[in-house]
Amino acid sequence: MTRYILKRILSGIFTIWVTTIAVTLLIHLVPGDPVQIMFAQSQSTTPEQIEQIRSQLGLDRPIYEQYFMYMGRILQGDFGTTIRGNQPVLELLLVRLPNTLALALSALLITMLVGVPIGFFAAYKRGTWLDTSLMTGAIIGISIPSFWLGLMLMYVFSIRLGWLPVSGTDFKNLILPAVTLGLANAAAVSRLTRSSMLDVLSQDYMRTARAKGLAETLVLSRHALRNGLINVVNMLGLQFTYMMGGAIVVENVFAWNGIGRLAIQSIFQRDYPTIQGFILIFATVVVVVSIVLDILYVWIDPRIKYS
Amino acid sequence: MPLLDVKHLQTRFYTGEGVVHAVNDVSFHVNDQETVGIVGESGSGKSMTMLSVMRLIPQPPGKITQGEVMFEGQDLLQLSLPAIRRLRGNRISMIFQDPMTSLNPVLTVEKQLTESIRVHMKLDKVAARDRAIELLEHVGIPAARDRIRNYPHQFSGGMRQRVMIAMGLACDPKLLIADEPTTALDVTIQAQIVELVKRLKEELNMAVIWITHDLSLLASLADRILVMYAGQIVESAPLDQLYANPRHPYTLGLLQSIPRLDEAQKAELKPVDGMPPDLMDYPQGCPFAARCPYVIDRCHTEDPTLEPVSDRPNHAVACWVKPNGAAVLETARAIAH
Amino acid sequence: MTQPVATLSNTSIAAAKVKDFGQFLKRLLKSPSAKMGGSICLVLVVTAIFAPVIAPHDPTELGVGAALTPPNSEFWFGTDEFGRDLFSRMVYGSRLTLYVGLIAVGISMTVGVLTGLVAGYVGGWVETALMRAVDVLFSFTETLIALAAVAVLGPSLTNAMIAVGISSIPFYARITYGAVLVEKNKEYFKAAQAVGAQHVRLLFRHILPNILSPIIVVATVGVSVAVLSASALSFLGLGAQPPSPEWGAMLAAGRDYFKRAPWITTFPGLAIAITVLGFNLLGDALREALDPQQRT
Repeated sequence: MTRYILKRILSGIFTIWVTTIAVTLLIHLVPGDPVQIMFAQSQSTTPEQIEQIRSQLGLDRPIYEQYFMYMGRILQGDFGTTIRGNQPVLELLLVRLPNTLALALSALLITMLVGVPIGFFAAYKRGTWLDTSLMTGAIIGISIPSFWLGLMLMYVFSIRLGWLPVSGTDFKNLILPAVTLGLANAAAVSRLTRSSMLDVLSQDYMRTARAKGLAETLVLSRHALRNGLINVVNMLGLQFTYMMGGAIVVENVFAWNGIGRLAIQSIFQRDYPTIQGFILIFATVVVVVSIVLDILYVWIDPRIKYS
Repeated sequence: MPLLDVKHLQTRFYTGEGVVHAVNDVSFHVNDQETVGIVGESGSGKSMTMLSVMRLIPQPPGKITQGEVMFEGQDLLQLSLPAIRRLRGNRISMIFQDPMTSLNPVLTVEKQLTESIRVHMKLDKVAARDRAIELLEHVGIPAARDRIRNYPHQFSGGMRQRVMIAMGLACDPKLLIADEPTTALDVTIQAQIVELVKRLKEELNMAVIWITHDLSLLASLADRILVMYAGQIVESAPLDQLYANPRHPYTLGLLQSIPRLDEAQKAELKPVDGMPPDLMDYPQGCPFAARCPYVIDRCHTEDPTLEPVSDRPNHAVACWVKPNGAAVLETARAIAH
Repeated sequence: MTQPVATLSNTSIAAAKVKDFGQFLKRLLKSPSAKMGGSICLVLVVTAIFAPVIAPHDPTELGVGAALTPPNSEFWFGTDEFGRDLFSRMVYGSRLTLYVGLIAVGISMTVGVLTGLVAGYVGGWVETALMRAVDVLFSFTETLIALAAVAVLGPSLTNAMIAVGISSIPFYARITYGAVLVEKNKEYFKAAQAVGAQHVRLLFRHILPNILSPIIVVATVGVSVAVLSASALSFLGLGAQPPSPEWGAMLAAGRDYFKRAPWITTFPGLAIAITVLGFNLLGDALREALDPQQRT
């Protein structure tokens, strides 16, 4: 087990390392002069100012030198400053990160609470009208764009019924974005759960449990559900990653002040230091949380734990 | 009165592609403390027959469409679900082929062993655990007190099958159904498991039904043998009788395909040629006709039923020709020498 | 002299394929998902081709009706804030949707399949390097890759399309790679290799045709993913720019009039959902028809 976890951590570090390289190269892939593009919208920049920015970003040096400079700075917690306003990028991101995490995690909870039981019942009632209608609902569900679902929920619950605020930053404002993101992914999770439960239900050990004369509820709760839930935990990592990706869109629908909203703004403003910082933080969060969830999985699955 | 008496059992599977004739008009009995071997190729309906007896076939798509299964004076097919559950794992146990997949990988052996003890014998946790340890020791698992906390994958294949057997014996059954319990194991372990079951059968006074595709395995084990083909019983005879004078061409074929130790070098391995019929498109006439070297016209139109061989009351065969197996085997042996 | 071996194996595969294809088509035509999904896709294609005939108005003409007119018999889907006919805009938008879906999938499929083919076929350090890279991209998620690509290229519909295409490359690479590994160990391939077939021939004549079916399934579902992602980018303002009748962009523009004119956001959203549903249904049906064992 220790070997598996070590391997997992090493591959995570590798991913983050590749990200730092990709982020350094990113600015050089921009067609044309990145510094010119960054200031295309502001009229009052002189050529001297542009040259100053260029050397400040290290763009006048060889790429490998830029990379070591950038690495050296981020290892000291210096992610640079925004192009307009000169605010420290790391601080901007870290202030907003808890909001994004709160959104992603509460959405993950909703996804699981809705998707897993639906998939479970569909599998147990395989081939019946219940299965057919649940899975028809699921394929419709995965086809609905999250941003549109968000707007529709907002229309019903905020504008028509007035139960929830349209946007803002307190707990009440988290409800609609989390429900939107959670429901948008619940459909996919219900499909995954169904096929994983179908697999469990067709296993030989289910027959063994029935051959012992156990009541059906016991067969299901002890033998099917436990094995099925282990599979569900196994997909948590990937689902969290999807939540983080989905959060970028949903934050913008509800003006939820997370790093996704900041990222879209900085792409508009061509604020490359912020974009770079965002990609790094996003990748790090995804990698770290995935590793934690994978360790949780290893810990609850005796097949891996004792091997 | 026999312990188990199956009459005209018929099981069908209704799939999207068609109806599978899995078990076709199967009748047989098992006496108290008797060991009966059921032999046949995979897909011959031997497991399906016993799963039908236990009412463990998946339903849907499976359905027992006909028959009667008398066990200790009651028809299992008429019992309510709670009533049949009270018998399963208690009066009748079943153990399965691959102990790796037949044991739940995420539950400890203790949990899996004690759950039927607690349900059927109404013991508390501590007593059930003691009983489980005793069972494990009985089936020859060393350091049972410690090993009981382990998960199935921490045991070797042979040990896992011993755990499975311990589970089957948990509540002192009258009948143990063993569905190819040694197929997944290597030869030396196979022999150990056979010996173990023989010993336990004597000690516990139970009857055993042993399902296998390996006729030679039954030589030291069974009192009586049923040969199944395409969901039917085609021959039924006491062990010695079946080995010495098989009367169904299929049995004859199976016997000729067994390499005998004394003639191992030149043993001409002659498996039965051809494929069994498609159970979804059940043939008219005798299902073996297409592969049978003794086929006559009648075989293609009429399906023979299981009838006693004239002078032997315990020997029955479903064949129009009934070749003289003893003579055929004798000739084959002479040629081999 | 050695030719007959390869030819023989070729013909037997071809024969098996043709027989399978009849079965496959039969299963496909029986499936309700295929009928539903196929009809949706057909309607979309017909709408896109005959957009000028179907649309009653010019999609960009201002003031064909009063601004923010609710849906009525003349303006079926109502009008927007500039008095443009929403129905006409949506009809023309179907062209952009199809275009984006097909081009994006084309990009990811071409690059992804090539990557997977080369990695699986060549092996060695090339395999390790390519598949490691694919793994890293995979852990970034499609959204992040697409955002990074748009950040580099700048916001526009074409760039969004390219970004979405890039973001799905790892997917196709993995599927192809897995399929190549399976095919590489089959007899026909070893036979062709033994008679000294050229690498390019081996790859394109032998391996590619045999791994086509999983790729077709992924590509069909891929169109729905691409449509969703591209419309999300347009919604965020990073894709199509006004006055383009792209559905995601229309939806975003309608947000400002959300309270007064909910139809501006309702219809484009519905259209995206139905399109995506169509390709998803078709993909599901194809998967089931190609691999009946998988059916549950």
